Amino acid sequence: MDLNNNKIIEMYTTMKKIREFENNASKLFAEGQIHGFVHLYIGEEAVATGVCANLREDDYITSTHRGHGHIIAKGGDVKYMMAELYGRETGYCKGKGGSMHIADATRGILGANGIVGAGQNIATGAGLSAKLRGTDQVCACFFGDGSTNQGTFHESLNLASIWRLPVIFVCENNLYGISMHQSRHQAIQDIADRAVAYNIPGVVVDGNDIFAVYEAAKEAIERARNGQGPSLIECKTYRHHGHFEGDPAKYKPAEEVAEWMSKDPIPRLINYMIDNNILSKEELTEIDNTISKEIKEAIKFAEESPWPPIESVVEDIYTDIVEEVRK
Amino acid sequence: MKELSMMEAIREAMTKKMREDPTVFIMGEDVGAFGGCFGVTSGMYEEFGQERVRDTPISEGAIIGCAVGAAATGTRPIAELMFIDFVTVGADQLVNQAAKMRYMVGGKIKLPMVVRLPLGAGTRAAAQHSQSLEAWIAHIPGLKVVYPSVPSDAYGLMLKAIEDDNPVVFLEHKILYGVRGEVDENAKPIEFGKADIKREGKDLTVAATGRMVHEALKAAEELSKEGIEIEIFDPRTLFPFDKETLFKSIEKTNKLLIVSEENKRGSFAGEISAIVAEECFDYLDAPIRRLCSVNSPVPFSPVLEDYYMPNAKDIIEAAKAIV
Amino acid sequence: MKKIGIIANPASGKDIRRLVSHATVVDNNEKINIVKRIILASQGTGVEEIYIMPDTFLIGHKAIEDLTLSKELKVSVNILKMDVHGTLADTIRAAKLMEDIGVDVIVVLGGDGTLRAVAKGNSKVPIIGISTGTNNVYPKMIEGTVAGMAASVIAMNMCDKNNTCIKDKRIEIYKNSNLLDIALVDCVISRQTFVGSKAIWDEQDIVKVIVTNAHPAAIGFSTIVGVRKIITDADDFGASVNLNVGDDYYVAPIAAGTMKLIRIDEPEILKIGEGYKIEFNFNGVMALDGERELIFKSGEIYEVKITRNGPIRVDVMKTIESAQEIGFFKSK
Repeated sequence: MDLNNNKIIEMYTTMKKIREFENNASKLFAEGQIHGFVHLYIGEEAVATGVCANLREDDYITSTHRGHGHIIAKGGDVKYMMAELYGRETGYCKGKGGSMHIADATRGILGANGIVGAGQNIATGAGLSAKLRGTDQVCACFFGDGSTNQGTFHESLNLASIWRLPVIFVCENNLYGISMHQSRHQAIQDIADRAVAYNIPGVVVDGNDIFAVYEAAKEAIERARNGQGPSLIECKTYRHHGHFEGDPAKYKPAEEVAEWMSKDPIPRLINYMIDNNILSKEELTEIDNTISKEIKEAIKFAEESPWPPIESVVEDIYTDIVEEVRK
Repeated sequence: MKELSMMEAIREAMTKKMREDPTVFIMGEDVGAFGGCFGVTSGMYEEFGQERVRDTPISEGAIIGCAVGAAATGTRPIAELMFIDFVTVGADQLVNQAAKMRYMVGGKIKLPMVVRLPLGAGTRAAAQHSQSLEAWIAHIPGLKVVYPSVPSDAYGLMLKAIEDDNPVVFLEHKILYGVRGEVDENAKPIEFGKADIKREGKDLTVAATGRMVHEALKAAEELSKEGIEIEIFDPRTLFPFDKETLFKSIEKTNKLLIVSEENKRGSFAGEISAIVAEECFDYLDAPIRRLCSVNSPVPFSPVLEDYYMPNAKDIIEAAKAIV
Repeated sequence: MKKIGIIANPASGKDIRRLVSHATVVDNNEKINIVKRIILASQGTGVEEIYIMPDTFLIGHKAIEDLTLSKELKVSVNILKMDVHGTLADTIRAAKLMEDIGVDVIVVLGGDGTLRAVAKGNSKVPIIGISTGTNNVYPKMIEGTVAGMAASVIAMNMCDKNNTCIKDKRIEIYKNSNLLDIALVDCVISRQTFVGSKAIWDEQDIVKVIVTNAHPAAIGFSTIVGVRKIITDADDFGASVNLNVGDDYYVAPIAAGTMKLIRIDEPEILKIGEGYKIEFNFNGVMALDGERELIFKSGEIYEVKITRNGPIRVDVMKTIESAQEIGFFKSK
């Protein structure tokens, strides 16, 4: 396994940056600085990080309403992300997307999506396109356990399988579809079981173990790049917060929360790095401080950014029509 | 120039663009060796092969959604659904994904894709294979909606639809597939938002789409014998919509009859009516009249289906009543 | 009362080997069906009480529900009363509880990891392992009905256990004289420094393999020894072999469908009961029965010992055959 110390530190930095960004987003939402629906990725950082660590810049991803982590892991700049949360002109989407739609299209991010499961079909399109254009690009498609009861899940696994598309279906099984526990919303425990029905490999990994996710993603991505077709990786994980900010998550039993908090992916990686002398406590603090500073700067950038001009409401709908829309 | 059916005109335009641009491809149910539900892609599989004339499972959401992903990543897909009625199955991918993706990401993605939707009644195919749902689609910001009525328009509009960098919904009336007309194969693409006056007249403007253009043309012959000259306005694209040409016609005739195969309630005919009432009221000498289908599902029995939608006779009656 | 226990691990058959060695995911509903067939076969041959480990997927509950609805359930089936955490600790605990309850035999559905956990929780009650995966050395691919019948024979005492059950060997791993962990078949020492997706498949990083048994047909890492030397249950020794030393290359099936060319030295015989010291000069991980488990550090010293403290394994075919001979299947 070609996983050197620099790569491990890089993955830690990404996970920590996601955590820090999300903790701040939570606080800013509570203070009324951020509007709309905000769904946070806290607790699930190892999934996006472990998968995207194996992707190239020209590879694609599709994201979800809980997408901040995916964007950071795919190389998004927290400055433009924060500005988007603030609804400012300088945001990635010029203030037209907000939390649920943050995407940096220049990095192969094919939108974050407010419709549960919708990215799955779009991912097959990116895979088909790569195949038709003769490139070896792949598309990693992130989605939650809840979306696997949508038709899109079945349609897209089927399509990707019959056409052997270079798509890696990454299920972030955080145990809940909004408030409904998985045991109540589907008659299976392992979504990977469903891969059998589409004749693709399905694996279950500990989604809170960065190395487990990294290894599985590496194999699945290699497979896709070699033209062997799609895979389904189910990452067992847990969101620390409610479905959205403001959801007190009373449906989660306290023991369950405590158990999962003890499996938090970030302390696990820190322990590993310290144990294996990959970095010292001082170096760790330095990384954390740099991240903290970067997020603070992002907030400042967002706060100081202008609101989008009113005229822009009709821009970016079409490539060519602007004024006609207004009339 | 050569004489082509509407179906051939659509096929020739797609073939031309596929020869020019290797990133253009077709996907849909049975579009391959089978040649498409109505035969529109017949012979294309032989020329372009299975990769570019691509059969899909019966999975409308996957067809449109896959086209969205492919369009966002450097290809120009043409997705065919068998019937517009099935767009409901893939509606999320059209309404929430194709139409909105560019806007939601701040204009950094373009989606050059065409969704072809055969529509319309008259084939005795009953309620789930006969609808005219153009109002739904035209309602969604982010989509362009094309509705040709003659082969030459279909040819030029399809060329433009494939070249366009935005999602274009291309409506094809099934009854018109066999209608023949002269097509200039070297014709330039037809710009969207440019209506066509299918017949000039001074007494009444008849705004009609799709098959109703032909019913209006039939009615015009009869009315002419009685000294009534109607002007037939065919918008050709519902969005963008050519208001100027319509207003100019009304300035001349001062009267407007809108004919559409849609159910009347909530129809695009209502939208045209509202536009004229808001922006061109001063030129009207009579109330605007809409002639549409009954507000019922499309019935099966020939007797009921024929009654259900407007025809030349109904247009004649309505025209006489207005003039 | 003739009692049997059933332990089914819902997590088995799903790991990364689906991606790296052409294995197929084993769905949990099939595991429920297997449990149902064990229940039906054992109740049909005289078992009166069945105990099932609770699990996160409720395999036992669902089996009971289905058999109740189909009106086939005659025997008393109980789900053990214990907390469920969804980890191998559940299995260890359940095996211990079953031993305490006094079940006569435990049928286990899972892979090598599950069987190892059962062996950690119990060493007195005979076990029958049903493999629910394609990469297992210890449990075998046998039909639930057959396992159920064999369990019944053991519970009814209708065979001579000295002939039909084998007291297995195991590898014991000690640090500072404390028993840290065990392996039933193989212990693989790798230079990888994390547990990750648990399964081990990358032979490049492997330094040493220690085995209790070895055979070229026993797919897995023990074949690395097996291709040079066969070691059976009856042999009172195990062996170890070093990789990437010497001049001899061998082809070994280290996983189902995975044939690897491996350079190995002459296997060293490890006698039963004798401790062998291993001192590491690198950081790495020990994989026990195919799964990365024990992280070690450079400079640490471990002791491994092959013993006969393994589980009592039921030879299913011999058991059924000896029962048949004395009229087990004759209607009373």
